[in-house]
Amino acid sequence: MASNRRGVGLSAFSNSAISADQYARHGQTLRSNHAEALANQLSVFQAALHNFSLTHAKDIRQNPQFRAEFARMCHAIGVDPLAGSNVKGSAGSGGKTGSVWAKMLGSSVNDFYFELAVRVVEVCRETRAENGGMIAVSEVRKRIEKGRGIIGGGIDVTDDDIERALESLVPLGGGFKIVPLGSSRFIRSVPKELNLDQSTVLEVMQILGHVTVSMLQANLGWERARAIAVIDDLVADSLVWVDSQADETEYWSPAAMHDG
Amino acid sequence: MASSSSSPVPPTLTSAYAAPPPTTISTASTSIVFTFPTYTSFPPFYTLQPNLTTRARQLTLWSNLLTTYCAHHRLFKLSLSSLPSNLFANPSIHRSLSQPDIRTVLAHLALPANGGRVEWIPTSSRAEKPNSCWVYWRTPTEWADAIYGWVDETGQKGAVLTEYEIREGEAVQSQEWRGMDEDLLRKVLGLLVKRGKAQIFGQEETAGVKFF
Repeated sequence: MASNRRGVGLSAFSNSAISADQYARHGQTLRSNHAEALANQLSVFQAALHNFSLTHAKDIRQNPQFRAEFARMCHAIGVDPLAGSNVKGSAGSGGKTGSVWAKMLGSSVNDFYFELAVRVVEVCRETRAENGGMIAVSEVRKRIEKGRGIIGGGIDVTDDDIERALESLVPLGGGFKIVPLGSSRFIRSVPKELNLDQSTVLEVMQILGHVTVSMLQANLGWERARAIAVIDDLVADSLVWVDSQADETEYWSPAAMHDG
Repeated sequence: MASSSSSPVPPTLTSAYAAPPPTTISTASTSIVFTFPTYTSFPPFYTLQPNLTTRARQLTLWSNLLTTYCAHHRLFKLSLSSLPSNLFANPSIHRSLSQPDIRTVLAHLALPANGGRVEWIPTSSRAEKPNSCWVYWRTPTEWADAIYGWVDETGQKGAVLTEYEIREGEAVQSQEWRGMDEDLLRKVLGLLVKRGKAQIFGQEETAGVKFF
């Protein structure tokens, strides 16, 4: 096609005289305009959310649904309200959005989750001899609710809160992990991981309350030696309690011990 | 974070979850039914656990149960040949601690390192194993302090009281040590004598005690 150097009219657009370079520059302008508009919107929103969190700090602290919604809102705009939460008032690491949030949200929300995390760690430590380091999130919640201090003693704590509090511990290391067992969620506070057979038996125990070697053989199709080996492991790790007064020795999950 | 327990618990394992002995027990507590903790319905509680970590925790729970039960029922002494039927057993789940295991538990609790809540009462013949023990839901020292405090507050220092009065007198009806075993009271008074806070005159039934 003969090139038409006259850059007017419709033909101008099919004219390859409009170079890729021009497109690129135009795109760049659009992008930076958008980015600027977005940054402005975001900072307006951040300011609004900051004021909101200050005004409603009390609600955030005391109302678990409110808290959950607030957290979801923060996550929806790509911000973690807890990032850098244990660095109060300082610039935080590298000025990332997370640590800016920590400053903006004020101490109230951070304190709540941090204190909660400390209480969770305490409960796990106190009960370790009884349950081998595996404790249901719901049991932790019940124990904390019964306790005194800022956490518990009237403040509603949900299972959700507990898991969030544990997440805030992740940067500190410490090996606390959420382990699903059947339909329950457990916190594992010891470094040793359960292998598949051990997890399976613990899951069965969650459902049935206790197991015998025969039950494992019958329900899981295991050989006797395999069932015995797994049970021995669980006993050795103080994850289960032994009842030798039944017709066949029964192995119980300590989760039921303090129910009610 | 402070632990919630302020009453004596075995020093080796503290737990914010363990129930301490009640701080005040007024009148006939048998009128109020003892509430058994949930773990007494947990069948493995009556099997001595093979895992030693688990066993240590189990023994702490037994210690708590023993002290709260005895405090509630005002039992100062346990005799192995006539134990309360629902202390070491839960008939509703058909589980009970065997006699040898009961002995093991009591022996463990008798160790000072485990709180010394139990003390074997020596038999007349050294060769025999003891068959009864004191249960110190209050330690002898705590009893000594309580009794001396009462004597002081009621202005009875310098007066002579009989052991019977101290144990069963009208004036002590609302006191925790009401109905205490004679032998235990003598032990407690012995502590006060050693401290120079009391003196005992006479023997046995006619014994009198003077506090300073």
